[in-house]
Amino acid sequence: MASAIKDALEDLLRSRRLQAEEPLLRGEDPRSRALGTGIAGLDELLLGGFPRGQISEVHGAVSSGRTALVLALAARLTRAGSLVAWVDPADRLDPGSAAAAGVHLARLLWLRGERRGRETLLPAVSAVGTLLGSGLFEAVVFDLAGIPATARQRLPGTTWIRLQRLIEDQPSALILIADGHVSHGPGGAALAMKASAPRWSGAPPARLLRGVGAEVREARRGLRGATVELQACS
Amino acid sequence: MFGALFAPVPPPDGALLDLAREFTPRVQSLAPGEVLLDLHGLGRVWATPRDLAGALLAAAHARGWSDLRIALAGTRVAALVAARGRDGLTVVPPGQEAATLAPLPLDLLDLDEERRDLFRRWGLGTLGDLGALPARGLAERLGVEGPRLRRLARGEDEAPLVPTPAPETFASTLELEWPIDGLEPLSFLLARVLEPLCAHLKERGRRAAGMELDLGLVDGRRHRRALRPAAPSAEARTWRTLMLLDLEAHPPDESIQAFTVRAEPTSARTVQFSLLDPAQPSPERLAETMARLHEWTAAGRAGAPALVDSHRPGAFVMETFAPGPVSGAALTGPPGPRLALRVFRPPLPAQVALRGAAPAFVSAGGVRGEVVERAGPWRASGDWWDVAWSREEWDVALAAGGLYRIFRDRLRDEWFVEGELD
Repeated sequence: MASAIKDALEDLLRSRRLQAEEPLLRGEDPRSRALGTGIAGLDELLLGGFPRGQISEVHGAVSSGRTALVLALAARLTRAGSLVAWVDPADRLDPGSAAAAGVHLARLLWLRGERRGRETLLPAVSAVGTLLGSGLFEAVVFDLAGIPATARQRLPGTTWIRLQRLIEDQPSALILIADGHVSHGPGGAALAMKASAPRWSGAPPARLLRGVGAEVREARRGLRGATVELQACS
Repeated sequence: MFGALFAPVPPPDGALLDLAREFTPRVQSLAPGEVLLDLHGLGRVWATPRDLAGALLAAAHARGWSDLRIALAGTRVAALVAARGRDGLTVVPPGQEAATLAPLPLDLLDLDEERRDLFRRWGLGTLGDLGALPARGLAERLGVEGPRLRRLARGEDEAPLVPTPAPETFASTLELEWPIDGLEPLSFLLARVLEPLCAHLKERGRRAAGMELDLGLVDGRRHRRALRPAAPSAEARTWRTLMLLDLEAHPPDESIQAFTVRAEPTSARTVQFSLLDPAQPSPERLAETMARLHEWTAAGRAGAPALVDSHRPGAFVMETFAPGPVSGAALTGPPGPRLALRVFRPPLPAQVALRGAAPAFVSAGGVRGEVVERAGPWRASGDWWDVAWSREEWDVALAAGGLYRIFRDRLRDEWFVEGELD
């Protein structure tokens, strides 16, 4: 009886859309739900969001908005009560920027590397494996941007296959941030980002950086793309 | 038969109870220095009440408590009041409770000041005076309290003895026939110890807030490790994993001959699940995951970042990762995507060419190019009372691409690249 009432209540909540993120219903496979970024054009491009159980990547040149886009996802997830892990072998994350993007910092586990290069990448890969295996985190972000390609190439060749095998049974998404293509799972997203000219306002000395437009292309689906406006923080 | 121990100078906490528990498990602590004992059924060990009283007295003397007062009586009240009022050893014969208490002063009962004054005005000085008054007359003047006090003065019990529970210890020791080396054999033995220990905790509705693993090594030394995860747990598997992970990082340098596991009990966690809030992570799994990341946590390089109340750029602290419940405010939507700073730690020293007062060319490790657009300078300073800082910030766009935040340290007149805007 109690179970029937709970089911009816869950149906009612779902039909009335009382929550932005509907809670999982009994027996529902969490991997069927993608991790939406909340950015309309981008979620459309990703067919709903970053897929769970897959490695996805966001790559682009310096200032193309890779970090901003992944922080937007982390903000959405942590504000909904989920946990996000950020593995940062080069120690580049700025907590102030994360907070400005809306990330609930208490729900962000940040692993900071000490040195650049292979010495830090191997323990970082091991930590990513531990985090994915725990199943506690909706998204695990592995920030490889700024790390030389030679350091990445010195990792064992099976690294990404092993991580993909590890994640495919988990309700988490592994998102790589990189300067160029690294790897993605067979069902994962591969976003290539390119910055357009930054927007400025005012005249010197009161000139301000207002933001930058980022062109996002799903590298695996060819021509499809979206534009994301990134505002500058104060 | 009941007994009472009364120490005019109360011994340290629990010492009197320990003495009482050597004779019977049914003991009640009433106040510091006052203990009641239920001595029923001890006739086979001590033939007469006087033998039993003598044994109690000997145990007290063995502890050096020569002023301890001991009384044995057929009722609790008689034993207690006799112990309060008479030095040394008192054994009240059965049926003689009222007569034994009669000469003792009324103050030995727990009377409030008002009642004591009233009895004094009535001319009552001893328990015998009160006990001799008619119950009906007392009831008419004092209500139900009158006959109750009369019964107490005559040594008649009001309520049963309520035993004080003995403090529970959650510890288990395993002595090994042969010393063991390595963690794999220890893993099986830990399971043997932890499973009953955790089952005991669960039976009592408790969890372990922390555990201590005390390894006895073959050379007689001890190797102690204390674990205190973010959340209490009574899961044997979780504790075993945490202990093994800790021992991997801090292994004993000799074979293990014996080990003891001690749990620090705490009340069980109460979780109210909600249909509307997201599910919280299991504290056990979270503790286990953090233990697996001990290389990062031990160096203080893993945790939840927290901003500090300071204007110093980039100021933050790393806190223990222990996410609590989600507040309602956090459930509101985030702002739109914002450019984030990817900082260089420490900032990259830079050579900056100026045109007028504005940067025109930047050269630093991995960052080099002509400045095509710029915004600034934004001046900030602070902490003049501590480690002062003062800087002039610029956001610059380089011809080769990329937006960077650079700053001039005004105290040292040096330029740095703080990070890239991404």
